[in-house]
Amino acid sequence: MKKLTVTAEDCTGCRRCEQACIAAHSRAGNAALATLEKPEPKSRILIEYDRGPVPLVCRHCVEPLCVSACMAGCMQKDPETGIVNNVGHEQQCVGCWMCIMACPYGVISPSYDAGGEDQSSFAVALKCDLCPNLDTPACVAACPMNVLAVSDVPEPVFNAKGNVP
Amino acid sequence: MTYVIIGASAAGAQAAEDLRKLDPDGDIRILTEEAGPPYSRCLISRYADGRLQERDLYFKTDHFAADHRIHYSSGVRVTSIRPGSNTVICDNGETVVYDKLLLATGSRPWLPAIPGCDLEGVCTFHSLKDAQAITAQTSPTQTVAIIGAGFAGLEAAYALARKRLKVTVVERCGQILPNQLDAQGATIIHRDLERMGVQIILNQSVAAINGSDRATGVMLAEKPQVQADFVIVATGTEPNKGLAAQAGLETARGIRVSNRLQTSAPHIFAAGDAIEIDDVSTGKRMPSATWFNAVLQGKYAAYNMAGRTRPYTGAVGIQNAVQFHQIPAISLGQVLVDSDSRENVEVVSLSEGDAIYKKLVLKDGRIVGMVFVGDIQKSGFYGALIRDQVDVSRFRHKLLDKDFSYAAVHRGPQFGQRSPYQ
Ligand SMILES: Cc1cc2nc3c(=O)[nH]c(=O)nc-3n(C[C@H](O)[C@H](O)[C@H](O)COP(=O)(O)OP(=O)(O)OC[C@H]3O[C@@H](n4cnc5c(N)ncnc54)[C@H](O)[C@@H]3O)c2cc1C
Repeated sequence: MKKLTVTAEDCTGCRRCEQACIAAHSRAGNAALATLEKPEPKSRILIEYDRGPVPLVCRHCVEPLCVSACMAGCMQKDPETGIVNNVGHEQQCVGCWMCIMACPYGVISPSYDAGGEDQSSFAVALKCDLCPNLDTPACVAACPMNVLAVSDVPEPVFNAKGNVP
Repeated sequence: MTYVIIGASAAGAQAAEDLRKLDPDGDIRILTEEAGPPYSRCLISRYADGRLQERDLYFKTDHFAADHRIHYSSGVRVTSIRPGSNTVICDNGETVVYDKLLLATGSRPWLPAIPGCDLEGVCTFHSLKDAQAITAQTSPTQTVAIIGAGFAGLEAAYALARKRLKVTVVERCGQILPNQLDAQGATIIHRDLERMGVQIILNQSVAAINGSDRATGVMLAEKPQVQADFVIVATGTEPNKGLAAQAGLETARGIRVSNRLQTSAPHIFAAGDAIEIDDVSTGKRMPSATWFNAVLQGKYAAYNMAGRTRPYTGAVGIQNAVQFHQIPAISLGQVLVDSDSRENVEVVSLSEGDAIYKKLVLKDGRIVGMVFVGDIQKSGFYGALIRDQVDVSRFRHKLLDKDFSYAAVHRGPQFGQRSPYQ
């Protein structure tokens, strides 16, 4: 399974990962032009601070709480790729925010204006999709410090007690 | 191994799916009273306002049973359980034998003891069938009275206001969402609903539903009556524990279970709205009552039924996310603080303008409850601190700061998952 790994110590907080994420998830394919789009794309990787900058991003958990919390059934973990995402399934995201409430890492965001002026459609939850159409996720490619990397890791199995050993 | 599951909602469907993973060769049978594939009752308001179709409510797809080789019998009600002979009896006369049984019977609307609940034009708001009845019997510009400003009542109110009905909600307490939000948070959501045209009457009990054969409105204890073409009763739910109680299993407000989700009978497990949990935020027993809890319990029950010991811990009864009109809100854990409580609780709060409000309830250096209104972005991180009872004393000065996030604790292995940050 593909996983993003983070070496936070080397992060300088340049936020190029955020810009690249916005660009990759915009229609224009460009972070500056993306600000004109409705809904305005949001970065799905977030630079937060501890003693220094720390990129926070979805870790596509083994047993994702966002998936268990999703009352529409749209948040799913792909059994082959391991990617956790709420789009591209039979069920549609209705913006109930249960996944945001459930995610321990705080890396899922609401898109408030996706409902449109008349709110006839739904706002949706936005999260890392590991850029399925790119060879390397946009944030990883953009990181000048090699803080972010993708690696192929075997999916851990649960031991008898149900914990990841 | 033959697994039998009663109920095909959040808990039952999840348990079936996990049982199939854990036991590829077992026989899995679901018996459920409601017709059709598993659907999400949380979404019925979006069906009632026309934004979703019935298919969209199928949270597991309509080929779920076939995909997982589950023998799925809908429209079948279990009438009794015989733990002595490991059998359940169905209303169609069938007797079903099990090795392990899961009670995922959920909850049902609780009705107040007022006259008129059985009139035509009176409905609860709990199932797809209810939503279909409401859709069939109401039309724009009609008036609707809703009794109860809890979750289900306000969901119904918002849905019908979107359909241009005139909606009045009557609530006995002094605020909307009295069990889920504190007064300040509730006020923000209240205004948001009023902007949608929903009228809300607080501090009033409904004495009766008026009408001779069809409902014409509701009678309030101290105010003029509210005229209505249709009445929705949304005064809460109660666990479906009857089957369990009749079979001699231990029950209180709900079915009692161990931390392996096992009832007092060794081969019978229970999960979801039907059970009581030990809430880590309050230290009290309470009904489970949320979708998220039901799914997790269904999953953990499956492990224990399949013979893997997997304790279910960190349960919290109140875990709600809402967005009716424009303002999102999350409440989790112990959100209400008794002013005369002798517990050593402390409250940290912050408000910005009239649309953002955040509150944390602290006890013994740990967060036990939160209310986030308007800005919910990092609520899950705080939720995890509550569920895992993390000591946050060292962050006491900055708990609600903008830059307090998972980054602050990323060095340790947290929340049961391996950290990729090391
Ligand atoms: C309008 C509405 C909105 C909601 N919104 C939210 C929300 O936003 N977030 C949230 O967390 N929760 C929400 N909830 C609550 C949530 O739906 C429940 O917590 C969840 O459905 C519980 O799932 P469950 O599997 O325990 O049982 P239930 O969903 O109650 O289903 C139990 C099933 O068992 C069947 N059954 C019972 N007895 C028998 C029997 N004897 N024989 C055969 N079948 C039987 C019933 O017919 C039913 O189909 C909402 C509920 C409603 C009504």
